Amino acid sequence: MKIGVLMKQVPDTETKIRIKDDASGIVVDGIKWVMNPYDEYAVEEALRIKEKKAGSTVTIISMGPKRSVETIRTGLAMGADSGILIDDPALEGADCYATAKALAKVMEPENFDLILCGKQAIDDDSAQVPQMVAEFLGMPQAMVIDKLVVSDDGKKATCYRRIEGGAKEVLEVDLPAIVAAEKGLNEPRYASLPGIMKAKSKPFKEINLGALGLKAEEVGAKGAKLKVKKYFLPAEKAPGKIIPGEPEDAARALVKMLREEAKVV
Amino acid sequence: MGNLLVNTRDQRFVLFEQVGIDKLFKIPKYSKFNLELVDMFLKEAEKFAVEVIAPTFKKSDHEDPAYFKDGKAHAPACFHPVYKKFVEGGWICPPAPEEAGGQDMPMSVFTACSELFGAANYSFFMYPGLNLGAAGLIGTFGTPEQIKKYALKMFAGEWAGTMCLTEPGAGSDVGALRTTAKRLPDGRFSITGTKCFISAGDHDLTKQIVHPVLARIEGDPAGTKGISIFIVPKYRVNEDGSLGESNDITTVNLEHKMGINGSATATLNFGENGKCIGELLGKEREGIKIMFKMMNEARLSTGMQGLDSASASYEHSVQYAKDRVQYRKIEDMPNQAAPGVAIINHPDIRRSLLWMKAHVEGMRALNYYIGYLIDLEPFVEDHEEKEKLEDTIGLLTPISKAYCSDKSVDICSLGMDIHGGYGYCQEYPMEQLLRDAKIATIYEGTNYIQSLDLVGRKLGRKGGMAVMGLMGQITETTEKAKGVEELKAGAEQMEAALQAVNDLVMQLGSWGMSGEFVLPVLNARSVLMILGDMIIGWQLIQAALIAQEKLQALLKKAGAEGSPDKVKALAGENDEVAFYLGKVASAQYFTVNILPTLKGRCEAIKLGDRTPVSMPDACFESR
Repeated sequence: MKIGVLMKQVPDTETKIRIKDDASGIVVDGIKWVMNPYDEYAVEEALRIKEKKAGSTVTIISMGPKRSVETIRTGLAMGADSGILIDDPALEGADCYATAKALAKVMEPENFDLILCGKQAIDDDSAQVPQMVAEFLGMPQAMVIDKLVVSDDGKKATCYRRIEGGAKEVLEVDLPAIVAAEKGLNEPRYASLPGIMKAKSKPFKEINLGALGLKAEEVGAKGAKLKVKKYFLPAEKAPGKIIPGEPEDAARALVKMLREEAKVV
Repeated sequence: MGNLLVNTRDQRFVLFEQVGIDKLFKIPKYSKFNLELVDMFLKEAEKFAVEVIAPTFKKSDHEDPAYFKDGKAHAPACFHPVYKKFVEGGWICPPAPEEAGGQDMPMSVFTACSELFGAANYSFFMYPGLNLGAAGLIGTFGTPEQIKKYALKMFAGEWAGTMCLTEPGAGSDVGALRTTAKRLPDGRFSITGTKCFISAGDHDLTKQIVHPVLARIEGDPAGTKGISIFIVPKYRVNEDGSLGESNDITTVNLEHKMGINGSATATLNFGENGKCIGELLGKEREGIKIMFKMMNEARLSTGMQGLDSASASYEHSVQYAKDRVQYRKIEDMPNQAAPGVAIINHPDIRRSLLWMKAHVEGMRALNYYIGYLIDLEPFVEDHEEKEKLEDTIGLLTPISKAYCSDKSVDICSLGMDIHGGYGYCQEYPMEQLLRDAKIATIYEGTNYIQSLDLVGRKLGRKGGMAVMGLMGQITETTEKAKGVEELKAGAEQMEAALQAVNDLVMQLGSWGMSGEFVLPVLNARSVLMILGDMIIGWQLIQAALIAQEKLQALLKKAGAEGSPDKVKALAGENDEVAFYLGKVASAQYFTVNILPTLKGRCEAIKLGDRTPVSMPDACFESR
């Protein structure tokens, strides 16, 4: 099986986010970058399928600035076979639509049997790229999946997802398809030292817009359907209040506050 | 918030900016590495330490320690999956040669990775640590058959290793050991004796444990010169490499210790039934010389253990000091209505934190630097240069071990003070860090033994060439610092300290020449700590020189030069500015507050007081 994994480099969840003075984005200096955690599940799942199906390959595809290379390398160190980075100044300012368009374009000629990705990236939390890529490629999609079973003949995949009320929804898709990973799909492995050493000699290519066959106005900020007006941090939360006393009295005081101070009941 | 274990920015600073490990990559053995790769190693080590090892820290101390039941020793249950992942990750033997299953990783880089593992839970890291040392010993001195039979399986993490020196009657005095080796007709030996305090001595993390054991072949002379070393496996090994019957090693018990409760510290009886068989490692009567390879490595690991606990204690203390609100600001003391502030605002807490920070950073720089010298040494071709390097490593080894472990206890104790009563309670990790740290001043040669090695062997070697060479290097750094406004005051203190230490070394030398050994021995520990402070001060000044230059460039770029307010504001939003500013501050604090004490301490020794030895024994006792 030929498996592609879409991966995004995101700021570490511990990062203290700062906004640029002109509110046009976040300050990226000094940020520690990591693989989007949901994409880690996707990489792990791809590797597990590869281990089961002899002759399979795993390719990691990412769109982003040069520094994304190190995160692709992490995926290669985990065991993926090759990596592709789409890096072009014209791609800057892309929204989900423009991102999906570029990603779809790079994957089209690869003829993957299965494309895995995280259900969303933890930086902007849009959760739209996988679906759009599926549309661009005309593939079936299964989103927010926490269990995946690929049929022995590699023609179908059974995907499980949690739905409201604790129930599970089971989807069957014909391959090739796009499957987006939810937490719980697996426990991602750690990149091993021998893996890290091997990663440096694994095939890796960087492609720009020209090589993709896309025009600058189709991608990046120009091709985006969504314009970000400004970035700002949420207002600091006021400290919570603890209402002392016996439960009955406290409940009474709470209702009073909800009515008179918060004016919500 | 950092990872609460190690400042990974400072790790990179020391490796990449201060020590400059990229110089190693020109050596063919290390040419496959580059800074990007090292960065990846550090990232993965951090991830592994934080996510996999750290969760065992408290568990393995209290509810799930190493234990002994029905004659069998067990490692903490929580260590089993971690050990498996550690092996799978290839962390069991990164510095081992590639053909043995390692990565040829430079020791400087592995030292940095190990700091993360040790800070996460040193008692876990002891198992792979001892195995690496024992496997390296067999790998270096074993025959090709022994390497294949034992070392490769140990490097692969399939089997584990220990080091068996100590006996109930032979602790610091290794030469007094009583374990015997009796020749067998097939050239092997029958081993009989008791070894105690054996770390990772018996456990169930691996199926087999291989013990390098010091023993005396029957008829060989008394003392250390008559000692040989043997490979003694827990289970005999069949021709095909599979495990055979038990090799008659009985685990008597596991010790109940103050700390490192996850480490199985065993008493082992070899040959209770006369059926314990060992193979000679290396040549007969060269046991001590051979074991010294492992002992030297173990001493540096113990210096690192000191750093590990100290670093974790510092990181936790900073976090706590930022969170814990107590009392008004000092300026608001008369104003009862003023709000309480986080304790990091109080001068004494800041002083404590900076004291801890400066020591931790200095110790980190020293240990990584020793790792770098070890990496370099085999590839120096010039005979004189090579010897110089060996002597410097020899000089720094006991200092790293004793200084870092002693200071670690002080640092962990101060960290507990910052936490107040909470630090004394098990709710916070401070009391465990302190308990775990304490053993490092005792094992791998007590700090007194280290000090004797320094004063008796290393200082006087070749007319004191090593220490004089080192002081020459320190003088060079100091001269540079004198030309930098921010470091000038500290550099002057270093200059005075160098003079005082120089005089002290001369005095020790003349005592030695005149056959006056009591005074150097009596003051050995003080001498070691004086040299330690001098070296840490040097490392901090060296770091600050680099940091100051980078800081200036950053301030210039931001237009904040010469404006303390702007610099302060910039430090709040620019992590690099804050980091470099902090490096300069560490050096400023240490050089001005610690180095001036060196002169007085040197003078005190030179006074030649002998009260401790001259006072009659009877005066020590309460009657």
